Amino acid sequence: MSQLGQVIGILRKLNDEYQISTPKKLKLIDAYLVYVLLTGIIQFIYCLLVGTFPFNSFLSGFISTVGCFILAASLRIQLNTTNRSTFNVTPERAFADFVFAHIILHLVVINFIG
Amino acid sequence: MTSTSLMRIIIFILPIFSWYITSTIASNLNIVNLNGLKAQFQTAIKSFSDVASLHYTLGGVKELGVQLPDSHCNDIKKLVDKSNVESIYHATEAAKTLVNCKLPAEDYRSTLTSVLQSDESKTADIYYAVCSSVNLGLNIDESNIEKRLNTLAKTDDSILSQAYGLLTGAQLSQPIAKYYADTINDLVQQADEIDGRILQYEGGIGTTAFIVNSFYEVAEKAGVSIKTDPKQLIKFATYFSSKRHVATLRSAYYLTKVFKHLCDNKNPVPIVVSRISPSAISPQNPSVLVSITNLLGQPVGEMSVVAESAKRKEDGVVVISKQKLISKASDFSVYELPFYDTKIPRGFYTIHLTLTARNEGKLIGLTDNIIDVKVTSEGTIENAELIVADRDHGAQSKTYKLTYPNAQSDKLELDYHQKLTVKFQIKDKQSDEFMPVQQAFLRFTNKQSKKEIIYLAEATDNGNSQYKVEVDLTTNANDFRYQSDKYELVLILGDSLLQNAYEWILNNNVHLTFHEDSLPDKDYKNLYLPRQEIIHQFREDEKRPPNIVAFVFSTLALLPLLILLILWLKLGFNLSGLPLGLSPLGFHISHGAAFALMFFYWKYLDMFQTIRYLALISIPLFLFGHRVLSTLAARREKKA
Repeated sequence: MSQLGQVIGILRKLNDEYQISTPKKLKLIDAYLVYVLLTGIIQFIYCLLVGTFPFNSFLSGFISTVGCFILAASLRIQLNTTNRSTFNVTPERAFADFVFAHIILHLVVINFIG
Repeated sequence: MTSTSLMRIIIFILPIFSWYITSTIASNLNIVNLNGLKAQFQTAIKSFSDVASLHYTLGGVKELGVQLPDSHCNDIKKLVDKSNVESIYHATEAAKTLVNCKLPAEDYRSTLTSVLQSDESKTADIYYAVCSSVNLGLNIDESNIEKRLNTLAKTDDSILSQAYGLLTGAQLSQPIAKYYADTINDLVQQADEIDGRILQYEGGIGTTAFIVNSFYEVAEKAGVSIKTDPKQLIKFATYFSSKRHVATLRSAYYLTKVFKHLCDNKNPVPIVVSRISPSAISPQNPSVLVSITNLLGQPVGEMSVVAESAKRKEDGVVVISKQKLISKASDFSVYELPFYDTKIPRGFYTIHLTLTARNEGKLIGLTDNIIDVKVTSEGTIENAELIVADRDHGAQSKTYKLTYPNAQSDKLELDYHQKLTVKFQIKDKQSDEFMPVQQAFLRFTNKQSKKEIIYLAEATDNGNSQYKVEVDLTTNANDFRYQSDKYELVLILGDSLLQNAYEWILNNNVHLTFHEDSLPDKDYKNLYLPRQEIIHQFREDEKRPPNIVAFVFSTLALLPLLILLILWLKLGFNLSGLPLGLSPLGFHISHGAAFALMFFYWKYLDMFQTIRYLALISIPLFLFGHRVLSTLAARREKKA
């Protein structure tokens, strides 16, 4: 009981810390990440329920969510000012890369969706 | 003694010497089907279509000893074609067979001379011209013809051409004929040997007979004998005598001539040795009768015939050695060999015969003649038993002893839990041993439908050949198609070395009862009727979930979008910092166009077109995007 209480306490602290210290831009991206994650989970549940036919469509949708998630996560990393030392890119450049990668991702996904 | 006369003596002695060494091949000669040849000519006499058939028929019939009336002379004159040298040849030859048929020589003289002088003439044409001239009594220039033949021999060395050369030589003077007669052996060497037994020339029976006949004709004119190995002559004779029927009149005519030459005492005569008694030796038929004749079936004079050995084919046991055969006919054409003896066991025997001629004749094929006979014996069926036993309890069985030819008197009832066994042995009466037989069957006949079900009886491998056949009414029930009915039971035995075969009715009233319901007999005719048509079935689509489920989940998948919007609004998402102007507008439009392109790609386009459009869109996208981002960057720099 106390362990659960400890875990809840830690989580609450994490949440507060998050709300305070994260800039708005990153929070927006985090919201987007949550959205993509949910979509992916729902697709996966659907596949589990009704089977893998047509498999290519399932894969395409699932990979689309996964790809979006990855790209958004990498954008978030690049935009985070605390990481300025590791990456030497401007936010604009990061955004441009994000758009370019998305175009390719969507091309592949649409090709595969069948 | 000059060398040439010495040569001549040697040439004469050598063949005589070789005749006594004689051939060592087995002779497979048959007596000629003379009646067939006669019938062929007689059918042809009824109507003639051309002068060649006339020649062959008249000639053939004359060879067989029948003289035809002179009325045929008119036929000859009607059918001859004065401009064709071959036609003239046939006409003159046909006229020669009749008693008094004179053809107008002057009519043909021009054609004949032109053929003899023309450079285009082949050896056959030269022969036709020469032969016709001789038949008509016209003069021919022998030296000129000889020169022509020599020239032709250089250009055309086919066998037929050489044969025509020989025939032409036979029409000329004796020295020329002799020159050609010396080439006979070379021509024989050029014949094709088949299986080591037959010699023939390319072109079939008619051509071979024609060529061999030419040998005899030129040798006769030259006054010499045919100097060739008797073995070769026998191989030719085997080929000729193997044909029971020939298709053309030409073949029939030349075959008749060749057979007459081969039976002429002036030439080497092949001997035909054949068995005229039945092949099975038994007490009713104890001797082997052998006929010794020439190819036409005529007797050849007194002979001493000795059976060198009679060997059993199975194991080579020799039962007769160096026994002389007894002459039975006054013309010395039939000889007898007593064979039957109780000590000779049953089996297939090969008898080797050697012949020696009493008179000094030119007979060939005297050694290595083979006669095949078989010695059969009487058999008896012994120790025959019929056993009815229970399948599971083998000990409970009833044995009925049977004796041939009695059948069981009472009916036999068999059930599906029983099995039937029949055992028997066959004994050879002469040797008193049990023997194996080639056929031993047990047959059930359905009395109603007459269907037969046959089982094979097998013997044990040891010496006493105990036969046994077992029918189990459960395992073998399908053979009967489970039809419970009345059956007749018969034992069938047979062997090629048994004098009698057996079909022994063991029981006429066998009731079989099977456990399952009876099946109808297999209709074997149905196997060949058309079968059911197979309709192609396309691959069925896989099952998809119902539309509602898909709809629900689609909405569910869009739900997070709502959540996203709510979150963003809560976080303070606004479009206040959105730059306005051409570049941002261009950027947004081209960005939107890229995603619209994706939609179109999904619905309508293929990859190549999409790539092209994408390339097109990405140019403004890049340009505008770059401008927008640099504006934003500048703004950020300014703030900072």
